[in-house]
Amino acid sequence: MDFQLNDDQSALVSAMRAILLDHQDIPQSQKLDYCYFHSALQDVLQESGFLNAAREVDPLAAALLVAEAAKIPPVVEVGASALIAPALMPDEVPEGPIAYVDGARLDKPHRNLAVAKTAFVNLGEDVAVVSIDEGDVERVETIYAYPFGKFVRKPDLTRSVIASAGATATQWARVALAAEFAGAAQAAIDFTVDYVKQRTVFGRPVGSFQAVQHRLVQCSRLAKGAYYLAMKAAWSKAPEDAMVAACYVQSEVQKLMYDLHQFNGAMGVTTEHLLHFWTYRLRALQSETGGAHGAALDIADSRWGAAGDNGRREC
Amino acid sequence: MEFGWPKEHVDYRRRVREAINELLPPDWEETYVRESYASDLQIDFSREFCAALAERGLLTPHWPAEYGGSESEDWQHFILGEEMKAAGEPRGPQYMNVNWIGPALMKYGNDEQREQHLRGIASGKVIWCQGFSEPGAGTDLAALRTKAVRAGDKYIINGSKIWTSYARKADWCFLLARTGEGRKEISVFLLPMNTPGISVSSYPGLPKYGHLNEVYFTDVETPVSGLLGEEGAGWDIVIHALSYERVGVPRYHTGLHALDMAVAALKKEGRFDDPIIRSRAGMIAAQFEGAKLMTYSVVDQRVKKLPPNTDANLSRVAALEAVNELMNFIVEFLPDCLAGGHLLLDDYYRVNVPAGVTGGANEVQLDLVAQRGLGLPRMS
Repeated sequence: MDFQLNDDQSALVSAMRAILLDHQDIPQSQKLDYCYFHSALQDVLQESGFLNAAREVDPLAAALLVAEAAKIPPVVEVGASALIAPALMPDEVPEGPIAYVDGARLDKPHRNLAVAKTAFVNLGEDVAVVSIDEGDVERVETIYAYPFGKFVRKPDLTRSVIASAGATATQWARVALAAEFAGAAQAAIDFTVDYVKQRTVFGRPVGSFQAVQHRLVQCSRLAKGAYYLAMKAAWSKAPEDAMVAACYVQSEVQKLMYDLHQFNGAMGVTTEHLLHFWTYRLRALQSETGGAHGAALDIADSRWGAAGDNGRREC
Repeated sequence: MEFGWPKEHVDYRRRVREAINELLPPDWEETYVRESYASDLQIDFSREFCAALAERGLLTPHWPAEYGGSESEDWQHFILGEEMKAAGEPRGPQYMNVNWIGPALMKYGNDEQREQHLRGIASGKVIWCQGFSEPGAGTDLAALRTKAVRAGDKYIINGSKIWTSYARKADWCFLLARTGEGRKEISVFLLPMNTPGISVSSYPGLPKYGHLNEVYFTDVETPVSGLLGEEGAGWDIVIHALSYERVGVPRYHTGLHALDMAVAALKKEGRFDDPIIRSRAGMIAAQFEGAKLMTYSVVDQRVKKLPPNTDANLSRVAALEAVNELMNFIVEFLPDCLAGGHLLLDDYYRVNVPAGVTGGANEVQLDLVAQRGLGLPRMS
C-alpha cells in the first residue's frame, strides 16, 4: 500500500497541472455565468492523449487526471472519456466529449449533454452508444456548473449497443463522479480557506472563529476521504469500491454546500465569486447513478446479501 | 500510489490471527463481554497472553533487536494492533507498554532503567498504568497539579490522577508530576504502584467497571533514580512517547465488525429488508471505509518517515464521526442491545461512549488541523 504518487504518476499530474494552469481563467464576458465549458481546453486534453490515460497507463492514472481537471473554475468533460469509455470500449475511442445518460430518465436534462458528441445511455442491462449530431440536443438553462442538455427527439438506442455493460457503466460512472467530487471539493475548500483568512468581521478574520475552523476541518475530512476512496476504486476496479466511493461523496454534498457557502457569506451567493463553479458541480453529481441512497443499497446488497436474503449469508 | 497488501503483510496478518485463535480461551468472548477489558480478570489474563505472544515474537516485533524485537516495519506493527483490537485487545493494558512506554524508556532511560524495565515489558508479564490525567487536567495536560518536590536523594509526591485505567492491578506507573512552577516544568517518574502512600479507588461509569480509577499520592517517596530523563524534561518525553500512538486506535476495524453484528441481529429479527435500514447501514460502511484509508495513509507516511503533519488528527476525526453514526444506528434500530439484548453491541457502545475525549478531546483535534493543517489564524 502506497499513498504517495510514484514518479510516473507525479509526472502525469504535473503535466496536467501545467496545461490546466494555462486554461484556468474564465473570459471576462462569461465570468458571471453559472458554468463555463472550456472547449479549447477540451480539445487540448483530447489531442494530447490525456483522456487515454486509462488505456495507456491504468484507470488510477485517469482518475488522478479527473480529480485535477475538476480543480479549475472552467469545466471540461474528462470523467466519461477517461474512465467510462475505456471500460466500455477498450479497443475503440469514441468521439468526445461524452455524456453519461440514465436510460430511465432519457427525456430529462443530463450533465455535459449540451456539448457531447457521444452519449452512453445506460439501459440497465445494456448500454447504448449514441452519436449526437447538431440539433439532436438542446441546451438547458441551469444553476448547475456543467453544460446540461436534453434530447430534442428520442435517440436511436438500437444502432450501437454494448450488451450486458450496464453494471460496468454504473461502476465507472461512480468512480468518475467520486474523482470529480474529490477535485472540486478540495478546490472549493482551498478557495474558502483563503477567503476566510482575509475577510474580517467584528475586527478579526472569519477563519479565526472556532465555529468556522471546526467545520472547515470536517469539510477537509470529506475531501480527503473522497480522494482516497475514488483512487482506490479506480485502482482496484472493484464494483464494491466504486459503490463506497460514490456513497461517501454523495451523502456529504449537503454538508459541504451549506458550510462552504455559509463561510463565503453573501459573496458566496453572487456569481461574481468563483465558489459556485465548484459547489454547483458537487450538486450536479449528487444524484447520479442512484445517488447516495442507491449506492448505499448496493453496498448493503454486496456486503450483507440482497434484500429478502435474511440469514442466508454469513456476516 | 497503489492500495494492495503485499504478500508479506497478508502472511503476517494470518500469522497474528492464528496466534490469537490458538491463545484465546474458548470462553474468551463471553468472559471479555462480561468483564470488560479493563477488568481484573482480563488484566491478569494479559500476563499469560502477552507472555505467549512474546514467545512467538509477536509482542514487541517493532522493537530494535538489542531489546528483543525484530525491527519489523510500522505496517506490521499496525496490522498487529488492528488484529488485537478486533479480538477485543487481549493484551489488555500491555498495548501501552509495547507501543510507547518501552520506546520512551529506550530513548530517555539510563542503562539501569533500560535493564530494569525493558526485559520485563518484553516478557509480557508486567503491567503499567498511565498517570497523566487529573481532575483539572485532561486534554489540557500541562495544567496538571500533582507535585514532586526534591528532598535530598528523593522526591516527595502529592496529588491525584484520574481516568487511570488498569491502576488497580498495575505494577508500575508512568507518572507525570510538576517539578516547577512553569506550565511545562513537568517530569516523568517510574513509580512502583506498591509504594507506600499510593491508594486507588474505582468508580462505575458508562464504560464498564474497571475503566475508571482515581489514584491518590500522599507523601509518596521515590528515589531520584526513579526520574526518567532530566528533571523538567517530562513534556518532551510525553510528546515523543505519544507520537508512537498518533495513528490512534483503529476504530474502523472494530466499527465494521460491530456493524456486521448489528446487521446480523437485524436479519435475525427479519428487519433487514427495510430499505431505509439497509441504506443507513451502507452509508455507515462507506464512512468507515473512508476513515480506514485516511488512517492507512498516515501509517504509510510513518513508514516513509515523512515529516509529521495533521493527517493523523484528521483520520481520528473521520473515525469518530463514523463511530457516532454507528452508535446512533444501534440505538435507533436495535434499542434492546443496551438492555441485555446483545452483549457484544452493548460492549461496543459502552467502550465508545468516551471515544470523543480519550487521548485528547475531538475539539482539540479539530483545532490542531484548523491551525496547523489549514493554516487558519488562532483566536487572539
